[in-house]
Amino acid sequence: MSATDLLTCEETFRRLDLYLDRALSHEEKRQVEAHLETCAACAAEYRFESTWLEEVRSKLQRIEATPTLRERIAASLAGVADAPRE
Amino acid sequence: MAGVSGPESAPDPRPAAAPPSFEELFLPLVDNAFRLALSLVRNASEAEDLVQEAALAAYRSFASFTPGTNFKAWFYRILINRHYYRYRRERGRPVAVELEEAPELYLFNRTAELGLHRGDGDPAELLMRKMTSDHVRRAIASLPRDFRIPVGLFFLEELSYEAIATVVGCPVGTVRSRLHRGRRMLQKALWKIAEETGIVRQLTPEEAPA
Repeated sequence: MSATDLLTCEETFRRLDLYLDRALSHEEKRQVEAHLETCAACAAEYRFESTWLEEVRSKLQRIEATPTLRERIAASLAGVADAPRE
Repeated sequence: MAGVSGPESAPDPRPAAAPPSFEELFLPLVDNAFRLALSLVRNASEAEDLVQEAALAAYRSFASFTPGTNFKAWFYRILINRHYYRYRRERGRPVAVELEEAPELYLFNRTAELGLHRGDGDPAELLMRKMTSDHVRRAIASLPRDFRIPVGLFFLEELSYEAIATVVGCPVGTVRSRLHRGRRMLQKALWKIAEETGIVRQLTPEEAPA
């Protein structure tokens, strides 16, 4: 890897949000991960943010729709289907 | 991410299958639609009403949906429009929103101050395992609406910036900015809840069990 491939800590940090969004190009992602392999401080920050994100996501996924919601929806769609077309 | 297709396959000699029905496309979204609605309105009952209204509106205009395009983005746009419509009267009242911007790495730094980065455990897990789904829901619901929606869609559906931009009707750059700022605000909101509910006190070193 040439010197121009190596990211600084600041450059790596600036890419954190895009990394979490999976919006980096393949090449940029490779460069970030190469830096993280050699820099414990940046790796800790990336790891924290990634873990936090997954935790938030998994807690949100545990919220269940109310049991009656699907029935209500099915009933109202059936009502539309039976009604004359608008 | 939304819209990614699988590998190319040989042309199917059977007659073309009918495009998916509304129910086939919509039913897998009910839970996430409810979760998003819950971050927009005050309680589960209102969230239910909003999802039902949106489902009906979407069903009625299903002919305007182009098969093969992003149904999730199309449906969530309808849901958010229904939300705006319902709360139109409230929107008329000027609300002074204190946009409390949060710095980057907000929770990283707060947990470091508590000493959570020193031990073996993962500091993000140590904090988040004490927080409930309701804490997370409340934190998202506390964000200004313009930030709540991109953040909600990101966590629930992992939509791309472009898909979120389609849903909310603003430029991709605005979506990206609101998503990033919104996530930071969310960290600050979660910390506030952690303080209010005594979770921070529990995690503070002198309070930790021996």
